[in-house]
Amino acid sequence: MKRWARWFPPAFALTLLVLSVYPLWATGYGIRVMLQLFMWIALAQSWNLISGLTGYVSFGHVAFFGMGSYTTAILVVQGVAWPLAAVAGGAMAVVLAFVIGWPCLRLKGPYFAIAMLGLNEVLRVIASYFEGLTGGGLGLSLPTLDASVRIYYAMGLVALAVTALTYLIVTSRFGLRLMTIREDEVAAEAMGIDTFRYKIYAFLLSAAAPGIVGGLLARDMGYIEPISVFPLVTTITMIVMVLFGGKGTIWGPVLGAVILFTFQELVWAHFPHAHQILLGAIIVTVVLVMPRGILGVLQQRYNLPRTV
Amino acid sequence: MAAILQVRNLVKRFGGVTAVNGVSLSLEAGKIYGLIGPNGSGKTTLFNCITGIVRRDSGAVGFKGRRIDGLKPHQIFHRGLGRTFQIIRVFPELTALENLLVVTTGDVGPARKRAEELLRFVKLEALADEYAGNLSYGQQKLVEFIRVLMTDPELILLDEPAAGVNPTLLNELLEAVKALRDRGKTIFLVEHDMKVVMGLCETVFVLDHGEKLAEGPPGVIQADERVIEAYFGR
Repeated sequence: MKRWARWFPPAFALTLLVLSVYPLWATGYGIRVMLQLFMWIALAQSWNLISGLTGYVSFGHVAFFGMGSYTTAILVVQGVAWPLAAVAGGAMAVVLAFVIGWPCLRLKGPYFAIAMLGLNEVLRVIASYFEGLTGGGLGLSLPTLDASVRIYYAMGLVALAVTALTYLIVTSRFGLRLMTIREDEVAAEAMGIDTFRYKIYAFLLSAAAPGIVGGLLARDMGYIEPISVFPLVTTITMIVMVLFGGKGTIWGPVLGAVILFTFQELVWAHFPHAHQILLGAIIVTVVLVMPRGILGVLQQRYNLPRTV
Repeated sequence: MAAILQVRNLVKRFGGVTAVNGVSLSLEAGKIYGLIGPNGSGKTTLFNCITGIVRRDSGAVGFKGRRIDGLKPHQIFHRGLGRTFQIIRVFPELTALENLLVVTTGDVGPARKRAEELLRFVKLEALADEYAGNLSYGQQKLVEFIRVLMTDPELILLDEPAAGVNPTLLNELLEAVKALRDRGKTIFLVEHDMKVVMGLCETVFVLDHGEKLAEGPPGVIQADERVIEAYFGR
């Protein structure tokens, strides 16, 4: 394991280098695939921050993604530059997280999960209803712009930033305190940890990146509609990626996103309808066979430090 | 000497059951107190009301001269009132050392030093980096015991510290409790093991059906007919 720790930094640096020069020779399709991979890493990593660390399962995390998409799209249509609009999308997602988290994170157990599921449905209906602002069910078209390469870098940056943030959190006492909520919330309270405040922090942090990447993807797609930015399956995919890679770990969500996204791209191309069935099958298998995910199992078996 | 903890007419109901029914008691600093009573007599509920885990229905709890009823558990903890649980509540997927570190505030350096000292104190230093969930029952109990000591609380509530602990370990635990008392700390413990209660406590409170039945030195309590009746029936 020591040897593993030695070759990891150079390998990671090399990966970053290759990814940063990739657009020089990549096809348009290749770039779009990769920027979606970055997006999934950012989404999985964000879900991990709230649900993997504190154990509060968010079944509506795509709500923040959709919030970011609509905020960005509306601003872009108004003439705001897309990078700024995407940041605003992230900010609006954080505001939404605060509004929903303040009452709902006081609920313990499954109520939070259910409330989040409801939030997503409500937002989708709202987006369909306020036609003047959102275009309603017809959707919203953005001015045409070929920015895929720039969005590729922006997505990559967000994925890297959330991963770095996760590293900082998991290796700090702040992160350990988030985990005590997952482990035993009553004991955490009794040991002087203000669990509500910590849950709110984790939740706000977990909403920012989905808002930003939602905005970036909206810009890249050029068109959004309620069903395309608030699909339940996006939340489920985030969850599966994290469970598969290892919840509560730093690299688990990255691993899960890379493996499942690659797999999904391959299967999607050949069997478009099999993909949801497979997702379901993976959930069942992971939960039954290795509830800790790939990294969780390795961590437990080899007693790896949390930095993995 | 002024009371460090004062409980006045505390009442807690769960639906139709009155778990704690108008209990009043007062603890002086620097002593070891015991709380005994048959199963279901309200001992743990009383602890939960004092530490804010459950909200009392009426009555008052004062700690160091200020009211703490109505505060949240984490606020009460930071006033200097720590506790352990009847059922072990370590954080299983955190290491023994991490279990201790999460409790502290301020710089990590001194916190780590204190955590290592405490682990040595209970001879668990070799297991510092082991997940708490992998430790034995007795070891987890020790981790929970030293976890509450991390912030050096003035009053410590121990809910059945002796249950399930082997005799050698138990002696060490009891010595540790006495050492804390000698340093001016106040201990309030629930315990079923009468030898532990009688050997350790200066004053014992007896609860029965949520009410305080008796209070006094262990010798007197042991001879009290009402107490014997509560335990064994008439």
